[in-house]
Amino acid sequence: MFMYQSIIYKEWIKTRSMIVLMAIVFLGAGIYSFMKIAETGRLMGMINYWEGTIEKGVSFFEYFKYLPLLLGILLAVTQYVPELQFKRLKLTLHLPLPEKNIIAVMLAYGLAVELLFILITVPLLLLGLSFGFPREIVWGAFWLILPWFLAGLAAYLIASWICLEPQWKQRVLDFIPGAGVISFFFMGVKAGAYQPFVIYLVGFILLAFAFSFYSAIRFKEGKS
Amino acid sequence: MAPVIQCENITHYYGNRLIYKDLNFEVQKGKILGLLGKNGTGKTTIINILNGYLKPQSGICRMFGESMDKLTPQTKGRIGLLLEGHIQHSYFNVRQIERYYSRFFPNWKRDAYFRLLEKLQVTPTQKISTMSCGQRSQVALGLLFAQDPDLLILDDFSMGLDPGYRRLFVEYLKEFVESGNKTVFLTSHIIQDMEMLIDDCIILDYGKILLHKSTKALMEEHPGQTMEDVFIELTGKY
Repeated sequence: MFMYQSIIYKEWIKTRSMIVLMAIVFLGAGIYSFMKIAETGRLMGMINYWEGTIEKGVSFFEYFKYLPLLLGILLAVTQYVPELQFKRLKLTLHLPLPEKNIIAVMLAYGLAVELLFILITVPLLLLGLSFGFPREIVWGAFWLILPWFLAGLAAYLIASWICLEPQWKQRVLDFIPGAGVISFFFMGVKAGAYQPFVIYLVGFILLAFAFSFYSAIRFKEGKS
Repeated sequence: MAPVIQCENITHYYGNRLIYKDLNFEVQKGKILGLLGKNGTGKTTIINILNGYLKPQSGICRMFGESMDKLTPQTKGRIGLLLEGHIQHSYFNVRQIERYYSRFFPNWKRDAYFRLLEKLQVTPTQKISTMSCGQRSQVALGLLFAQDPDLLILDDFSMGLDPGYRRLFVEYLKEFVESGNKTVFLTSHIIQDMEMLIDDCIILDYGKILLHKSTKALMEEHPGQTMEDVFIELTGKY
């Protein structure tokens, strides 16, 4: 158990500055979003604002659209680029633990950080919105932002897969389908339209967990 | 007694370029074997093959009787690995890296690490990325001493070290090996100081082994010469 804690400690040392920075960015985006909502409410009047959100599908949290995605990519880069630099991954895989477990713990750490951001940010955004808007609008906002936050998890796993890949040519080949799949999370449809589709997005995220193991196998085979 | 390292008929190519054909060698317990050769003769390649980081075209290597691609965590815990260029996790500082590794090895000797580092002008909070190559070599060596492995694999440990640090490294290593029944497999392209350290040597040339014998026998066959002289005689200056 102590050994796995030690791997988490290593990941924390690598990522902590970036996590603090992104926490500040998320906080700033949250404050700015609510200032904007309050200002629009004052200018339009809350009833008109309600009507506008229902009829035109106005998004309250546009600033959060790409932030979870950015967090996922930055997490993967800060975790895995130092491992591939000078092939330090050899040191990590040489530790007295099963190699699959080492990779799984590293991925689980990144996913846990991304999930922590989601589980703090989403309820806070919806709670703040519920003070000025009825439940239906809050619920609609939830379904609109959910794919953006799920995109963060998917982006983390795809970026990890690409970062752990030892060959540049293969990285480019991995990037193309990876970017294609990520675009599904940003199709820009109205709130609620994703509802039946979310299960497939979650299914993809579960599947993407396996991709990085393939890159690690290629690294072990000496592909470069 | 079974050898600690055993390589049988290793053949490897990079593209069309032959690195070795049917390379065979063993390292017995308690011995220090030096694999010496110029740059590009495949020294790092054999270390990668040994540790399962490269699949050779044919042949097999074993460490403690286990095949290179199926090393168990227990066996890995008995092997200390130094990568070429003294590469370590440079985002850690001196104290953090000790804390990180200490949890993996039951016989961790914290004092051995800090005793070695006391000799350097570094603070416990100094980041490894800000250190010179010589200082990094001492951090890497200190971590290996603290791990107290049965087998040390050192890939071109002399790379980037000035003569002072190289001599220091060799002296500490010799002392460490003599203190327990340790086995060492090392590679180097710098031959100076090697006769002080290694029991057996293999001199590699492009694609083949030029020589494989004990250091003692080699030096007796070439009286008045250093190992470096013998190496140049065998491999040529360039």
